[in-house]
Amino acid sequence: MSTVLQVSDLSTHFHTQDGVVKAVEHVSYEVAKGEVIALVGESGCGKTVSALSIVRLIQEPPGRIVSGQVIFNGTDLLKLSRQAVRKVRGSEIAMIFQEPMTSLNPVLTIRRQMTEALEIHRGMKRQEALDEAIRLLERVGITQAERRIKDYPHNFSGGMRQRVMMAMAISCQPQVIIADEPTTAVDVTIQAQLLEMLHNITKDLDTAVILITHNLGIVARYARRVYVMYAGRIVEHGLAQAVYHDPRHPYTEGLLCSVPRLDEPRCVRLVPIEGQPPDLIAPPLGCQFHPRCSQAQDQCREGTLELVEVAPGHYSSCRMARKE
Amino acid sequence: MDEILVQIKNLKMYFPVTSGIFLQRKMAEIKAVDEVSLDIIRGETLGLVGESGCGKTTLGKSILQLYRPTSGEVLFEGNDLCRMPNKQLRPLRQKLQVIFQDPHESLDPRFTAADVIGEPMRIHGVPKGRARRERIEELLDVVGLASYMANRYPHEFSGGQRQRLGIARALALNPSFIVCDEPISALDVSIQAQIINLLGDLQEKFHITYLFISHDLSVVRHISNRVAVMYLGKLVEVADRDELYKAPLHPYTQALLSAVPIPDPAVEAQRSVIVLKGEVPSPLNPPPGCVFHPRCYKVFGPCATVVPMLTEVSSGHHVACHLYSRASPSN
Amino acid sequence: MAVAAESARPHHTLWGDAFVRLRRNRLAVAGAIIIISLALASIIVPLVSPYEFDEQNLNAILEGPSHAHLLGTDGLGRDVFTRLFYGARTSLAVGIFVQFIVLAIGLPIGALAGYAGGRVDNLLMRFVDVMFAFPDLLLIILIRAILGGSIYMIFLAIGLVAWVNLARLIRGQILSLKQRDFITAARAMGGSGPYITLRHLLPNSLGPVIVLVTFGIPRAIFAEAALSYIGIGIKPPTPSWGTMIQDGYNNIFGAPYLVLFPAIAVGILMLAFTFLGDGLRDALDPRERR
Repeated sequence: MSTVLQVSDLSTHFHTQDGVVKAVEHVSYEVAKGEVIALVGESGCGKTVSALSIVRLIQEPPGRIVSGQVIFNGTDLLKLSRQAVRKVRGSEIAMIFQEPMTSLNPVLTIRRQMTEALEIHRGMKRQEALDEAIRLLERVGITQAERRIKDYPHNFSGGMRQRVMMAMAISCQPQVIIADEPTTAVDVTIQAQLLEMLHNITKDLDTAVILITHNLGIVARYARRVYVMYAGRIVEHGLAQAVYHDPRHPYTEGLLCSVPRLDEPRCVRLVPIEGQPPDLIAPPLGCQFHPRCSQAQDQCREGTLELVEVAPGHYSSCRMARKE
Repeated sequence: MDEILVQIKNLKMYFPVTSGIFLQRKMAEIKAVDEVSLDIIRGETLGLVGESGCGKTTLGKSILQLYRPTSGEVLFEGNDLCRMPNKQLRPLRQKLQVIFQDPHESLDPRFTAADVIGEPMRIHGVPKGRARRERIEELLDVVGLASYMANRYPHEFSGGQRQRLGIARALALNPSFIVCDEPISALDVSIQAQIINLLGDLQEKFHITYLFISHDLSVVRHISNRVAVMYLGKLVEVADRDELYKAPLHPYTQALLSAVPIPDPAVEAQRSVIVLKGEVPSPLNPPPGCVFHPRCYKVFGPCATVVPMLTEVSSGHHVACHLYSRASPSN
Repeated sequence: MAVAAESARPHHTLWGDAFVRLRRNRLAVAGAIIIISLALASIIVPLVSPYEFDEQNLNAILEGPSHAHLLGTDGLGRDVFTRLFYGARTSLAVGIFVQFIVLAIGLPIGALAGYAGGRVDNLLMRFVDVMFAFPDLLLIILIRAILGGSIYMIFLAIGLVAWVNLARLIRGQILSLKQRDFITAARAMGGSGPYITLRHLLPNSLGPVIVLVTFGIPRAIFAEAALSYIGIGIKPPTPSWGTMIQDGYNNIFGAPYLVLFPAIAVGILMLAFTFLGDGLRDALDPRERR
């Protein structure tokens, strides 16, 4: 498997009135052609910010990409000019966002929005672009595409808008699709529709997918490798099977135990993770998770933590995990 | 045997769509809740599931008369709440409470935590002073908040803490029935478990009956005794919890359950998902016959024309589907 | 099972928080200082000035600024300096009292329309629309003609025209607040309409109301000045900046300072209130949404 996108040691900070928010700290991940990886974590863990940093969609003040590299097809995206990044964004690296209403222009028809992208990025003529756009809409399961392409975003339901977003994302045959919470805003049956479809399409096109979510179920179903994030850092990563069946970080363990599962017998009491997510301006010293960790020791309160291979292909930043 | 606390009969909640400048004419109706009948047993947690637009939140609010139902009855302690004027309802509201979904929205940003929790007492005439203060402290403790936080404002609390405040407020006057409207959907996963446990503990301690509204099937399974499934304003299935999850009868319930991914890659690799076709129709114009029939993968003869009734198929298990009604007319 | 508070930031009350933010805004502070200084000056002017505001000295007509008369004299030999600061009283009084009338009329109407909704809202808003459409000046002249020209009637006249904006604002605020969950929660608890309006809806609408009222003051000041300028405002000899401008207009080429000083005064006061209003609006912005 050949690596298509590699993020190395990425750090992104935000300068706010209250201090510097270290949203992403020394994060590294990579995705190979045709592979689906997942960035899992709760709100504020930095997964979305890291993805936005890849395509340079961070607002420069107050945000700043402080360090790191993003190697895509041999070039470091972080070093490119804004113009060059814009060429890559949307065509070779496509994004699907959570809230399609804000990423689709409400005053333009779908036809305009889709054909524009095709004309610019794939150099098509108007009629060609229109035909292709209709074909793409049909591919994502929008019936009567010829008629519906003339509609505006508000004429579509939430699920349909996400399909349109997916159609736009694949329209330029990207090498990587970054899907940021693509189904958080839709119902579970629509989620099933959308994700199954995305899965099929990306398999056909051999697209790499970075799936960003807090939903452990969809990660289990669709991702091959998982990166677990907490407080701006990656705390564990590896093959999904390894991480789920043999979690090597107390946070991952905690997450898995606190989520009820449909297939297992009910445990009478869920085991929550105590405490609150950390303040990213003044995070705890040492391991960011230690204030909430049931297994915390003295050594967890100081020093910097690094990801260490605790099993083949399986990495954890927890010092306890290495003992096994 | 089990005492029925709340009995809902043929509840309809239709919202008119009007137009006009001075005289508003009714153009159409949104049938948010369409003839729902349901019994809620004292001491139980009845889970109410369904996707957006199914009417579950509207049902919850209609039961509490926060929307005045278009027709039907809601019997509580022998009285029909629908027929009661607001004045008469007020004292009853001490026993009927609600917990909202969005912890950012459900608290007045200008009220301190003590104000928030004390408000029910204030409205119902518990005088200011030691009794009230002690009760507030007691409630803070019960929901796991430190007492020094009583003077803080909502924006100084985290989402999970705000939800605890909302729960404390709901408990203030010892309610017997609480409608929990998606109480954990807006919270982080690691906090959700905390709140679920809290709600379970409180139910045991104070003998509260819950109507737990949620779209999250895994959570509902964890906390409920019985589960009711809604689709487009109608009840499609009601059963004991284990029965529903092990042997769902209605095709929609089956699709709904199959759509929930299990956080286990090995299991998911083996599992296939029932993918429904199409979208949820608009409640302005629900399909004739069985409202689910256009998307149903087991649709047959009578489904497009005859409305299926909710019938008891086995003990405690009710379904509204022609597949199971013996009396369904042949084509 | 107590969950520790993670708030590392110091505890602020909402008003305290707003006040701190206001203080940081230099323009707003400058505006506040100007207003307070002018108010104080207008009060102590009888102690400072050797002249009365209506003291005529026909030997010293239309004299430019001099040692004896810091800002000169007008057509009747009256000291401009003294009259200017007395005039400040009038302007400030008009500005502030008008707001009381605006609040007294606009608040209940807007609140009622917003909370009651339906037909009541419809009716009230049509009434508001009619009032809004009516030309302000005409209405003031009409009221003035009916009620006479004492300063209280001026307050009333301007107030009766200005309440419309506030009513609309309050109604809008309440309409949007009504939908929010904490209002539904209050209803679920058994709160009555008046209770909810007083305890929840109005306090949460305060921010924009305060800002509107603060901006309303310079508008009222200008309205009075304009009225006095066209002759239907304050009756002489009470000094008002508007009447001073009117008086001075006849001699505008010979003694331009007669128009200049009051005009500048109006401008400065209006600017001060505008800065303050801007600052208040920023300070009161619900920062609760962290």
